[in-house]
Amino acid sequence: MEGGINAWKGLVAKGIPDAGMAYFEPAKKTGELIALAWYLEEGSRKFYAEMARREKDPEAVGLLNELVDDEERHKTSLFQLQQTLSGRKSDPAFPGSLIGIKPGVEYLEGGMLLSEALEWVRGKEVREVLDLSVSLEVNAVDLYIKMERKVQEKEARQVFQILSNQEKIHLERLSSLLEKR
Amino acid sequence: MGVVDYFKPVSTWPAEKVREFLDQHSPQEYNLVDVRTPQEYEKGHLPGARLIPVAELETRWKELDPNKLTIAY
Repeated sequence: MEGGINAWKGLVAKGIPDAGMAYFEPAKKTGELIALAWYLEEGSRKFYAEMARREKDPEAVGLLNELVDDEERHKTSLFQLQQTLSGRKSDPAFPGSLIGIKPGVEYLEGGMLLSEALEWVRGKEVREVLDLSVSLEVNAVDLYIKMERKVQEKEARQVFQILSNQEKIHLERLSSLLEKR
Repeated sequence: MGVVDYFKPVSTWPAEKVREFLDQHSPQEYNLVDVRTPQEYEKGHLPGARLIPVAELETRWKELDPNKLTIAY
């Protein structure tokens, strides 16, 4: 690419190559990656839900609520994928049975702590909330592309591909709204 | 990789063309490689880019699918 990264005007992801896969313990097995993705989706869902409750801008609230629904669907897809791969119809302890996390510590898809994100947005304008959301989503796209590369199972690759494509759509929608604000 | 491969022409794309290509293709269709240092990669990289620093290319090029277009920066 001519000019290298300095010529790039688009969004960039941040973090080390395995960022996002090493938040709790280095997640290596497919089941661990699925559980990790589930936790990150849940963290993002909570963040968007809180932002939707707090914001007044109708268009932003509408989009944030759609993101909440999407992240919930992503969690369902990940749960179903784990069921398919494990051959077990139910695992009441999922996702904690697959990966260890500290109680009460929640992360967003971009790797940021949920508590830190909620603290950061306090008193901020909708534009800044959207800006943070864009950076979360660009890291989510980065993460799912990498997860897709790491897994061998066809079903898992498909799910991670779908997730990275959907996070890309989130990114485009958030960026589009941000440009208008 | 044979010696002939060293003489294959490599085109340089402007960033805008790269962006259009990435927008129109799924990540499974190309190799996107960041050849800078890990520290530079950590500060900001194109989403989905693999980190293979220049110094490691000689030993790690096999990680890339030769049947796909490779974009490096």
